[in-house]
Amino acid sequence: MKDKALSLPSESHNNRITFFMNGQQITEELPAGISTLDWLNQTKQMFGTKCSCNEGDCCSCTVVIAKAVDDKVIYEAITSCLYPAAKLHGKHLITIEAMGTPNALHPIQQALLDHHGTQCGYCTPGFVMSMFALFAMHNHPDKEAIFAALEGNLCRCTGYQSILDAALEISRNYCKEDLIPAWCSEVESKLLEKGVPAAMLLLHKDSNRLVSKYLMPETMKLLFDYLQTENSAVVIAGGTDLMVQMNIGRKEFPVLIDITCIEELKRIYLQSDGLHIGACVSYAKMFDSELVHNSCPHLHKLISQIASQQIRNFGTLGGNIANASPVGDTLPLLLALDATLRLQTELEMRQLPIRSFFKGYRQTALQKREIIKEIILPLSPENSYVRTLKSAKRKSVDISAVVSAINLQRSLGYTQNACLAFGGVAATPLVSRVFTGLVNNKPLSSLDAAQIAKAVAAEFKPLSDVRGSALYRNKLIENHVIIYLSELQKEVL
Amino acid sequence: MSKLPYHLAGPLHLCGKSRFIADEPELKGMLYAKFLFSPVAHARIKKLDVSEAENYPGVFKVITANDIPGENMIGHVIKDEPLFPTLEIMFAWQPLAMVLAENERCAELAVKRIKLEYEELPAIYDPEEADARQEWYVPERKIECGDIVTAFDNAPYILEGKTTNSGQEHFYMEGQRAIAIPFEDSRITIHCATQSTMEVQEVVSHVLGIPAHDIVVDVPRLGGAFGGKERAATIWASMAALGAFVCKRPVQVKLSRDEDMHATGKRHPFTSLWKVAYDEQGKLLAYDVQLLANGGAYTDLSVAILERAMFHSDNTYYVPNMLIRGRACRTNLPPNTAFRGFGAPQGIFVIESILDKIAQQLQLDPLALRILNAYQNGNITPYGQEIKECQMASILAKLATNAEYDKLKSEVAEFNHSHTQHKRGLGIVPVKFGISFTTALLNQGSALIWVYIDGSVSVSTGGVEMGQELSTKVAIVVSRVLGISTDKIRVESSNTQRVGNASPTAASTGSDINANAARIAAEKIKENLKEPAAKLLAQQFGHEAEPHEIVFAEGKVFILKNPESAISFNDLVRFAYSERIPLAAYGYYRTPDLWFDREIGQGHPFHYFVYGAALAEVEVDLLLGEHTVTKLFIVHENGASLHEQIDMGQIAGAAIQGYGWCTMEDLVWDTNGHYTSANPSTYKIPGIRDLPEVFKVEIMPSQSLEASVFGSKATGEPPLIYGLAVFFALQAAVQEVNPEAVLSFPATPEAIILAQEHRGN
Ligand SMILES: Cc1cc2nc3c(=O)[nH]c(=O)nc-3n(C[C@H](O)[C@H](O)[C@H](O)COP(=O)(O)OP(=O)(O)OC[C@H]3O[C@@H](n4cnc5c(N)ncnc54)[C@H](O)[C@@H]3O)c2cc1C
Ligand code: FES
Ligand code: FES
Repeated sequence: MKDKALSLPSESHNNRITFFMNGQQITEELPAGISTLDWLNQTKQMFGTKCSCNEGDCCSCTVVIAKAVDDKVIYEAITSCLYPAAKLHGKHLITIEAMGTPNALHPIQQALLDHHGTQCGYCTPGFVMSMFALFAMHNHPDKEAIFAALEGNLCRCTGYQSILDAALEISRNYCKEDLIPAWCSEVESKLLEKGVPAAMLLLHKDSNRLVSKYLMPETMKLLFDYLQTENSAVVIAGGTDLMVQMNIGRKEFPVLIDITCIEELKRIYLQSDGLHIGACVSYAKMFDSELVHNSCPHLHKLISQIASQQIRNFGTLGGNIANASPVGDTLPLLLALDATLRLQTELEMRQLPIRSFFKGYRQTALQKREIIKEIILPLSPENSYVRTLKSAKRKSVDISAVVSAINLQRSLGYTQNACLAFGGVAATPLVSRVFTGLVNNKPLSSLDAAQIAKAVAAEFKPLSDVRGSALYRNKLIENHVIIYLSELQKEVL
Repeated sequence: MSKLPYHLAGPLHLCGKSRFIADEPELKGMLYAKFLFSPVAHARIKKLDVSEAENYPGVFKVITANDIPGENMIGHVIKDEPLFPTLEIMFAWQPLAMVLAENERCAELAVKRIKLEYEELPAIYDPEEADARQEWYVPERKIECGDIVTAFDNAPYILEGKTTNSGQEHFYMEGQRAIAIPFEDSRITIHCATQSTMEVQEVVSHVLGIPAHDIVVDVPRLGGAFGGKERAATIWASMAALGAFVCKRPVQVKLSRDEDMHATGKRHPFTSLWKVAYDEQGKLLAYDVQLLANGGAYTDLSVAILERAMFHSDNTYYVPNMLIRGRACRTNLPPNTAFRGFGAPQGIFVIESILDKIAQQLQLDPLALRILNAYQNGNITPYGQEIKECQMASILAKLATNAEYDKLKSEVAEFNHSHTQHKRGLGIVPVKFGISFTTALLNQGSALIWVYIDGSVSVSTGGVEMGQELSTKVAIVVSRVLGISTDKIRVESSNTQRVGNASPTAASTGSDINANAARIAAEKIKENLKEPAAKLLAQQFGHEAEPHEIVFAEGKVFILKNPESAISFNDLVRFAYSERIPLAAYGYYRTPDLWFDREIGQGHPFHYFVYGAALAEVEVDLLLGEHTVTKLFIVHENGASLHEQIDMGQIAGAAIQGYGWCTMEDLVWDTNGHYTSANPSTYKIPGIRDLPEVFKVEIMPSQSLEASVFGSKATGEPPLIYGLAVFFALQAAVQEVNPEAVLSFPATPEAIILAQEHRGN
């Protein structure tokens, strides 16, 4: 049964969504496409949540979303500047305003104060919220877990040591129960009661806005109905790419169709042909999935190197693929694994190997009114060697200069089915043509890593740009190959 | 003394309740600004037609140079920078016109309707090219001592080279912003994110052609500045003021992150040409260096920054013969500006590169070489100031102990012997940093204190709070003088009506100048209160006392020999009021003994020096070019700290900022002079994962006689230079596989990979 308050008959409540904010249930009329941050700052005149970049890269705008997943409530930090406010429907939005007061600080705030973890204060609400999400989900997280939760939060003043010390202290001395305020726990049961949020439409006729219609279907049928009627519609999943185009590129999207309420697109399941991952599965969900961890451990590892926790919480695999960036981090791995895409239009579903999907710079084989429904990852045999390497300027939250993935099988000291793929070396992610020939069916010990590396590097003519020169990228191609091959050869010894 | 307070605004920050300009409910009738930024780096303007934009729905007015009632000039010391260029565009993203509209979206759409016609001119981005064409703001500056000609003639060893460092984006988390609100008549109030209220007031007064007393500048706090809001904030404040003045409506100017990173100046890249002479022990004999600063399109603070680079070319080393020449070069980049360190890091980088090179040539231990050449008390700097309290030897000894240097060295050697893909390296950077504005007249400050009749205290200084916790330090000083707790003390916004003619909060002098002024004001009030105190104590307890016997402590006032018979500070204040005793005071402080004669390059430009040193250990992955800072040790001398944790925060934060500068912060511009690294997706400042694995900072107290308020020393800028230790550690690691490697700056993974194949100079 759906909760009465939250089920919205789509026609009569057009522009409204219902959700909880800081413990209170509210129903709000939203301008279409507005980000949660703009909504807080502009509409609600709540300024505790800070805007520093408006493009997902600093996390000063971090807020926490609590939502029901299966039968439990999870707390997630997200960058509110990229999170369309419409997505708040049926969830609990927690902002800095509710965390504590100057005279009665929340333990996280107190620890930050005690350790002098705030100087100018501009980044501070974001850190508090990121830490809240972390500690609401994990008891006694270790340093690595703290890094993962805070790696996206930039601070230009403190140099982080004081913030880390505060987080470690909380980790030592507190449990979830001590840190989740009562008003949050009260909302938890209401979130669990409710059921699937109803479909809704958010219309806004103001020609000045970049978006004038935001649609959130909850079924595939409704999605394709909308796609039929709205000629200029663009699909939005997490929005972590698309909202940047809007906020910074000032690109107009007259009609956006948000596909993240469609349950069919959010499943992960195993079948004989491989692991199926719904297009709208978030990085965080993949990371936490046992199925992914067991059947594709290298995807699990790669995800930890993608973006920040805030972005991983709502950025999707389907979005990474459809966005078709030459440096999309999952793409070389999907190419190397020979993944298959399930593409869906209103009338038909087709399967396409991902190796035939990328057609040119940010161009794909997707047809009009077609979406990616699932990604099928073939299961790797026992004797597989699968690795990825990501090279960027900064250790975390950076876009790759070059990213690569290798997949091959070892049998009695020989290599088979070798495939090596790269991102950042051409207009699209690419599979090396020469690599397979140079290593397949050869004894591993006989491979001349340096020579093969040179041959592979010679195959690509990368561009120079702000993330690296062509010369550097070529060196990276070479060195990635050397690292893979020497690791393989070491195993044989 | 009772427990030191936390950051006074900390609880507000932590609750998201602290006030930042323009993150607040909108004012009625507010107009929002969007700019037409120049698409090219250098051009002659042929036509600027704003009529269509002006007619766009929602637009109130489009402001251009024609609307300026006063002077179209925001240049300060050297008047070369217009608010809006009328003839010549000097850099890409220079603002050319400002649209004011009901909301930002309208303004942004209207900007597209402005028609600009121009004729492109050749542009220069490289300081050496500018230098060759004598594109200097002022003629060459020179500081010299000894006789370098003879010294080089007789030198056993000579090395020559060229060193370059790149710039750095400030990346203050709060971007440039200002709100101007018209008041009666032609008066105007400006809330703006500036480090310099006086400069904004003065420049706006020129632009609007009204006297300074018609302009109120108020700064509640800044969300970070690091020098980026010293001069670079003036233009945006002036824009807002002009808009409000012309339209008679509140105007908000708030740059987006990308606009900010494109249009504002940064730390100066330097190219330095040098020659050094030394003997077989490694003793420095002569140093000849030419510093070329890439100043960007207008002078801004480039000359002062160049000068500070020159003053720090010796760093902690005594060199008997020196010739230091500096030229600030005009290029077509946004005007480069102050950034924490203000040229000193650039000057120090050169001589530290040289010391590492000499150590390598002579196979000497880099630490021993630095101790050998360190300044001793009694030495004279090339600009004629005597070194009086130098403790370099004990600082370096302490650093060696903390880092277990000898053990560390052999561990590194062992690691490098047994690893091929990974190498470790050590880097050492000592620091001597001169405190005071080198423009002597800026070394003055004022404070105004009110004690209200309930005993609560309001303190205003000219200092701007930007996260350095100046307010906390000022409150500590006032609390120490008046003997009351800091919760009784409110440190107010910096406001030109309360404290005028304020020098910028910069050059690390914030607490020296402002806390001293506050101390003086508080002392005056205390003096005023002694007489009524004596009277009240006599009335209540029958104790007679001379005013000098009266003690103010822990919220109480008593006679030294009778501490039990105390009156409360609050009661005293109320009594003093009824006795008609002044409860307010103005304090004025000027730093003593400062002078410098630019003509002869000699003087006493600094009140004192801050000393320290850092040692870094890194591990490099040669194939990926990536590194980890495995250890960072810092020893920092700072007098008698007012608050160690605050100073610790400054040291740790600055060191990481310096580390970012020389490693991952890669400023890139294209052939058209547009920064392509103008957003946080392409310009990376350190994140939490970049923390050194072991990070140990030791503050070394000292009984400095030269130090400032209550024996404390400034901390803001010097520690930034510690970050450079990482650069030299990385270079050492790469030299394990290529002894000739010269790592380019910043040491990105790309630089590390390419340096492995680098051959010679
Ligand atoms: C701070 C930050 C850091 C980032 N770091 C990384 C990183 O390290 N590595 C990396 O690879 N990426 C990174 N990204 C990019 C981005 O997060 C990923 O590409 C993400 O996977 C995009 O997914 P999304 O759901 O948010 O896509 P959206 O923004 O919703 O959509 C992207 C595009 O795909 C289309 N689309 C989405 N889903 C579908 C579908 N099912 N069918 C058809 N079309 C679809 C949309 O129409 C849109 O054109 C980063 C982004 C940010 C803001
Ligand atoms: S404002 Fe920077 S991530 Fe949202
Ligand atoms: S405290 Fe200033 S950015 Fe973090």
